[in-house]
Amino acid sequence: MATGVALPRATLAHMFRSWNTAQPEITDLIIGYDPVTLQRLPVRKKDVTAIFEKFQNRQALRAIDQLPARNGILDGSQIDRLFLKVHWEMQRLAEEFYHGPRVYEVLRALIATLRAGGHSGPLRIVDVGCGIGYTIRWLAACTPLASQRVELTGVDLNGTLIAEANRLASAEQLPCRFVHGDAFSSDHSGQIYLSTGVIHHFRDEALGDFLLRHDRPEAHAFLHFDFQPWFLAPFGSWFFHFLRMRTRVARHDGVLSAARAHSASTLVRAARNAAPNFASGMYGQKIWNTPAPRVFHALVGIRRPLVSALRSQLGRRASRLADLQ
Amino acid sequence: MKLPALYLLALLDGMLCGVRVSMGRCALIHKRSYYARALVRGLLGAQLISTIALVALLSVMLVSSQRPELRGDLEEAANRMLWVFVPYALLVLASLAARILPSTDIRSATSVFALGPLTAIRPAVMILGVFYGIVASRLAETRMLGLFVLLLMLSLEFFLDRLAGRTQNRELDQLVRLPRPSGGSRLRETTKPPPAS
Repeated sequence: MATGVALPRATLAHMFRSWNTAQPEITDLIIGYDPVTLQRLPVRKKDVTAIFEKFQNRQALRAIDQLPARNGILDGSQIDRLFLKVHWEMQRLAEEFYHGPRVYEVLRALIATLRAGGHSGPLRIVDVGCGIGYTIRWLAACTPLASQRVELTGVDLNGTLIAEANRLASAEQLPCRFVHGDAFSSDHSGQIYLSTGVIHHFRDEALGDFLLRHDRPEAHAFLHFDFQPWFLAPFGSWFFHFLRMRTRVARHDGVLSAARAHSASTLVRAARNAAPNFASGMYGQKIWNTPAPRVFHALVGIRRPLVSALRSQLGRRASRLADLQ
Repeated sequence: MKLPALYLLALLDGMLCGVRVSMGRCALIHKRSYYARALVRGLLGAQLISTIALVALLSVMLVSSQRPELRGDLEEAANRMLWVFVPYALLVLASLAARILPSTDIRSATSVFALGPLTAIRPAVMILGVFYGIVASRLAETRMLGLFVLLLMLSLEFFLDRLAGRTQNRELDQLVRLPRPSGGSRLRETTKPPPAS
């Protein structure tokens, strides 16, 4: 599957091996789960190292080298600790890029559209791969959604991050909850699915499979924010992560994320093929209708009868929404 | 007036350093009091290095055989330093002020195009400012004092960062040390559920 503009990426892959978009991120590999029970599985350090040796990615190898292991198995508690540290740092970036207000801008229009379409009961928003739940906690803390019969939920496969999300929500008494599990299971599914910085983790067929799973009877819309790829994005990301992030893993994965981000055409094509019952398109690609790209764009999908209502609920921001088909 | 102006800039720099090293180390949503404490820590750090610098300056003045000349030389060096530090401080403050505008694009842009690069060049600005200040000074004492102050200024963020890092590490250790539910990940069953929505 094509993931963006071919020429600059190929050049970057030659220049900087850690930006090679064919390789996974370190955090994709250093933690493993049983797909059915979601129990943690042991991860052999050598297996992780072997992958990045193949890509001659010395930056990743240096980061992995620092990870403590016992008898060749990565130390689970140290990996948990690292994930917490990295996610605290990632929240800082989310704050600096105002992820909360960005998500709310579209989410409130989606909610108003569903309400206008006759959905008067409780609405569940599910943040897929929520990590420590910054977006959901921000929505709970800074918007009136919880008092409008909107249930704010975050779901993640990583139990440590979910526990941290619940601890933080509890500390501030926020009306939201976080669940360890599968966001698309019948127990945790919702009316609107959203994510921030997650969708690029799904590659090739997995992207289609991920989007296909949205097509549940109770789901009305989805909203997935991620980096917008363009040739300067990895350079900007490198500079920003160098300045702001403190862990080697976060610096490596942050830049690789920007390099691996799916292009708008890839996302839209995948959504239209995998979830044809939703009208889908991009939101917020350009800054103020200028050619300048935003750092983040969003893939929006909504049930077809609701498309015109969504445009009207967006008001003057409707111009940020591309064609929904 | 030149030396007090440098002192005020040092306090401002200390406060911003305090906030900067504390960022990404607290994952709560409402962090006003957390950042207020960080500001105070930075202010105290800057006050400490200013006091050390003042003691050094007074000691040099005390032992110097050319006190009036040294005073004039120091004033001139401070004046030249301000030509570098004041524009830099104004740029930082203007970038922070731009965040009042109610636009996520403008606010994000201040991080990418202003605050990020300005943070990156801070050490270079410090070095440039001090060297520009002392390069034309006539006395060796002024140059030595300038270099000493530069060393103090550059070490402030390092020590504040170490302090914040130690606090964060203690917190992380506490979090991962919580009892582990059988087979699952840590913390999962050890935290209280949040209030129902």
